[in-house]
Amino acid sequence: MSVIVDDDLWSAVGDPTRRRMLDLLLADGTGTATSLSARLPVTRQAVAKHLVVLDRVGLVHAVSAGRERQFRVDQAQLARAVAQLADVGAAWDSRLRRIKRIAETIQHRASPTTQDKQKRT
Amino acid sequence: MEYGTIERTIHIDASPEVVFDVVSSPAHLREWWPDEAEFSPVPGAPGRIGFDQGDKVIAWEQFTVVDAKPNRLFSFRWTHTEGTVAAPDNSYLVTFELEPAGEGTLLRLTESGFRERGWAEAKIATEYASHVTGWDFFLPRLAPYAATIGAVR
Repeated sequence: MSVIVDDDLWSAVGDPTRRRMLDLLLADGTGTATSLSARLPVTRQAVAKHLVVLDRVGLVHAVSAGRERQFRVDQAQLARAVAQLADVGAAWDSRLRRIKRIAETIQHRASPTTQDKQKRT
Repeated sequence: MEYGTIERTIHIDASPEVVFDVVSSPAHLREWWPDEAEFSPVPGAPGRIGFDQGDKVIAWEQFTVVDAKPNRLFSFRWTHTEGTVAAPDNSYLVTFELEPAGEGTLLRLTESGFRERGWAEAKIATEYASHVTGWDFFLPRLAPYAATIGAVR
């Protein structure tokens, strides 16, 4: 897994239109540029371009080659993108826990509570 | 471009003075986030934080203090390119707001920036995740650190 691929993956899901397209594809199972554009405030051409971006990073795959290609979401790749999103929040959660622990340790050493004093006597 | 924000609030049983010191001093920062931290708490002054990648290689990220109001607020920007002035379009803004709550402090964190920048945070989390985010790594560090603080007080 290279960093460059991750950047592209991030860009792909960072766009609100592409995320709505993913939502629709997940809800419907499959979709085409025409069917997606009918439900979004963008042109079929714009949807087709977004599908190219999503296809390139592996978030969607063409599942039929008829008159118009049907696309389906790649669940595993989507899970990876979502996990990266969640990592940012998780990283701050663990940092905040460390901040809390360090600050409370300092406070505790500087001014032990009455309960602590009683324990020592 | 999409603007993303993370928000967290946590209660800490320590005074705002202590909490401010922990979130804003380079020495303490090294204990809860980067392996190296070089900055002065002066708005606009260029600084940097570093992440140890083994073999004596440090990955540096630029770090500029935006605002520092003792015991109330500390904010900084990071990940802008070296030599550039930190701005909304080239860096992430992290803000710590402190509020007295009983005998402790309510600490509110926000981080915001354009996710299309590559979400440097996610990259760092991915690359150094096993070292940087886990308690497995930090718990052993904390005990000696707590002992050090006890010794100087």
